[in-house]
Amino acid sequence: MTTTTLKRTGFLAAMLLLMCGVAAAEPKAGDNKPLTVRTFTFKYKDADKAAAIIKPLVSAEGSMSIQPSANALQVTDRAENLKQISKAITEFDAPAKAFRVSVRLVSVSRVQTPAKVSDDLKDVAQKLSMLRFNAFENVGEATIDAKEGDPGAVEMASGYRAEFKLGEYDPTSDSIKVNDFHLSKLQKDELTSLLKTTLNLGIGQTYIVGASKAPESQHALMIVLIARR
Amino acid sequence: MISCQTFRATVRPGTDDSNVLEHLRSCDACLDHAVSIDPDFFFRSIGGSEMVPPGGVDNFVSDVMAQVRMRQTEGSSMRRLPLNQYLRAAAALLFVIAGTTGVYRFSSVAPAIAPITTAAVQIHKPLTTKAVVETYQSQNATIVEMPTASAADAKVVMIYDDSLPADL
Repeated sequence: MTTTTLKRTGFLAAMLLLMCGVAAAEPKAGDNKPLTVRTFTFKYKDADKAAAIIKPLVSAEGSMSIQPSANALQVTDRAENLKQISKAITEFDAPAKAFRVSVRLVSVSRVQTPAKVSDDLKDVAQKLSMLRFNAFENVGEATIDAKEGDPGAVEMASGYRAEFKLGEYDPTSDSIKVNDFHLSKLQKDELTSLLKTTLNLGIGQTYIVGASKAPESQHALMIVLIARR
Repeated sequence: MISCQTFRATVRPGTDDSNVLEHLRSCDACLDHAVSIDPDFFFRSIGGSEMVPPGGVDNFVSDVMAQVRMRQTEGSSMRRLPLNQYLRAAAALLFVIAGTTGVYRFSSVAPAIAPITTAAVQIHKPLTTKAVVETYQSQNATIVEMPTASAADAKVVMIYDDSLPADL
């Protein structure tokens, strides 16, 4: 009886070991997969700009090299990663896309007795309540249609002027770069530069970029930006 | 009973002499001597023709045969056990194969599903995210990106720069 029990226990233990061995021997997805080399030649865009865009998609094992003479990009990576990279490159290397950029300037303050917020500023007021701003004034707004690579400029009656150059659309982050966004203000017949920056705007997303001397400043200028296709 | 000297003088291999056998059972020194002549003397010292088991020889023989038959029955039943064990082993093996096949299917199907899910996500969600303010004119400025409750919420970024005019 004891021998039989021992035999049964031994048999079950052997089967369990067999099962564990089979499960452990099964290769996991992505392990030891070979790297593939693929060369992408660009028709509309620059290879170096494409390299900057796909860089986050290249895996740790992968690599890429730019061939400036051929305006090409050679990417070495796993096949499934290359599929994703190829899709992003196909979307990137297209004729310049048109976008509509809306710019709105809102002057905000912290005051003792705030005035009632107008309806067109309620969305901004709600978002800026966490910064304890309670007085809002719309100082100008404009919309401009531009294609990738095109310069844009908007002038507002209040004397503010915004200039920029629309950059490349990045399909991996679904965003458009706004290069050299330069905000200036006409004061006493003289254009004073306020700030210069480069922004990444997600398509359809509202951005409120505020500027002030310090966090405790009682006054700030908010630039509300939206880029749409 | 004969003396040791007489025993050693008369003992022969295979002897049936009752005097010799009687002396053999009572004297260890002569038993050793007799075993050196014929090893069978060791067994013959245990009992003789005059020894009768309790209940008679016939009863003794029938008891022995009953024991033999019982052992034979046990032996035959023991021989059938491996067959049952084989059946159990086959059932267990089938179970293991079915289980292992399940593990293989699970492992091979999972990666096939994953790209479909990824592809679905790609349509709605960007693969990467970028900082809103990529560059700014002043290195001394502090740029703070406020947290948002959801991706669809308006993003607030504050630039604190001491070089900015107070009357922005």
